[in-house]
Amino acid sequence: MNRSVVALLVLLAALLALPLALDRYLLSVMILILYFAYVGQAWNVMMGFAGQLSLGHALFVGLGAYTAAALFQHFAIVPWVGMLAAIVVCVVMGSIIGWLAFRFGIGGTYFALLTIAFAEFTRIGFEHFGWVGGTGGFFLRVTQQDHVDVVHLRGPPILFYYLALALAVIGFVLCWAMLRGRLGFYFRAIRDNEEAARAAGVNVFRYKMYAVQISAAMTALAGVFFAFYYNNLFPEQIFHISRSIEIILAPIIGGIGTLFGPVLGAALLTLLSEGINQALSMAGHEVPGVKQILYGVALGAAIMFMPNGIWPVIARKFGFRRAVTADD
Amino acid sequence: MLRVENVSKSFQALRAVDNASLVVERGEIVALIGPNGAGKTTLFNLIAGALAPNEGSIVFLGSDIAGWRADQVCAVGIGRTFQIVKPFADMTVLENVMVGGFRGTTDRRLASRRAEGALRALEMWGQRDRPASALTLPDRKKLEVARALATEPRLLLLDEVMAGLRPTETDHMVAAFRRLNAEHGVTILLIEHVMRAVMALAQRVYVLHHGVIISSGTPAEVTSDPRVLESYLGTAEL
Repeated sequence: MNRSVVALLVLLAALLALPLALDRYLLSVMILILYFAYVGQAWNVMMGFAGQLSLGHALFVGLGAYTAAALFQHFAIVPWVGMLAAIVVCVVMGSIIGWLAFRFGIGGTYFALLTIAFAEFTRIGFEHFGWVGGTGGFFLRVTQQDHVDVVHLRGPPILFYYLALALAVIGFVLCWAMLRGRLGFYFRAIRDNEEAARAAGVNVFRYKMYAVQISAAMTALAGVFFAFYYNNLFPEQIFHISRSIEIILAPIIGGIGTLFGPVLGAALLTLLSEGINQALSMAGHEVPGVKQILYGVALGAAIMFMPNGIWPVIARKFGFRRAVTADD
Repeated sequence: MLRVENVSKSFQALRAVDNASLVVERGEIVALIGPNGAGKTTLFNLIAGALAPNEGSIVFLGSDIAGWRADQVCAVGIGRTFQIVKPFADMTVLENVMVGGFRGTTDRRLASRRAEGALRALEMWGQRDRPASALTLPDRKKLEVARALATEPRLLLLDEVMAGLRPTETDHMVAAFRRLNAEHGVTILLIEHVMRAVMALAQRVYVLHHGVIISSGTPAEVTSDPRVLESYLGTAEL
């Protein structure tokens, strides 16, 4: 086993044991970190690997969340089945967007606009969708917070900590495997040069569709998690473009296209945001907007000094192997 | 093996390829030469599927591939390089070539083996872990060839891969193509301005001028054809 694998296993063991040492607040911070690490990983499949910029990923979070929540609330279908439905819904939606864009050669900025458009009109649609509560929101039954019910995903935060950890680990391993195989090579080839990829035998349309579908399916699971963790869904919040932006910050700051970028970015950003909160409340200053300004300055600095993200800088400094080397 | 018949391609008023026909037999090395702007690269793009012809047929191993997508053309056994190199800049040399190596397989080891073979054939194995963006232009040209080669083509289309090489490098490349042709049975159709390479490699030559094939034959025949000299020099007064 090489150094990186050992380091990862140690990290995993630490994360498994961590809840023993954390209070309720810190546990909720950890859940946020793992959630953003996972959903950032999902977004990274499309943008980081295959070069297709989505600025509307909240669409898949929302659709996944509403699908599983509605099935649970209306038909008492357990979330483990509901998440399959959520995946199907999101893959279909992703396929529609991908087909429209790639069939008619919409790329770059215009593709990004298309993803925003879909997220926005889905939000508006859900605001008028009475079956799931419309603008009034959709709520899941909350019962017996202390009793862990894995089948129905009802229980205390520690249940959701381990669920989020499982998602983050699965997302990481999935992306690692993807990058090693043909899928990853073809995605990166498309990202770097579509025409050359085609000449080397890549069916560019098909593989771009795969990228969107995989990313949508992964994000659907994040949505299911979101629904059962927060228990309430509002179209205005879950589909909002600020949510889409929130999703992509971690991989951008951490390092687009890398495996560790989304994880590192999620940890740093969440800690930064929570840290600013704590510091401000301790200082007793409740000036509106200060948090956002500090946060913005930190993001600006990171992008200015590390335009490729933080992970590549760290990897170079400590001489880690590239995440994907061809001959091992 | 490859039979291009009466193929034409127009860009608005410009007839870039005009009723061109050519044949490449199995195992041959054939050169396509002509002055700048003659339509050579357009003809390549038609064969390789980057462009669809307006008229004519392109038959490769019995199927008419005219109008097929580039990846479909690649799948039936035609590999091509780009005159203006298109490396996957954020990938290493080996990863670039492995993209080609994955043709028709999901087996990573097979892709890796094909890539190694292609890189060794072009004497680039030592550079396998460098990022493609760090290569010099001659090495990028070789990378183009290696990537095409890793798809295990039966016909290799080479678009000015020797431009910009020093004479000794040209000789190395010529030797590499000869070996590929002799040992692996790769048929080669190449566009080339470097006459040193054309003379050394090609058994037959087609000359394209203003989109029309004006001459064909052995290198010696073609270079003494007055129509060819006229096309290059602009006058027949010799």
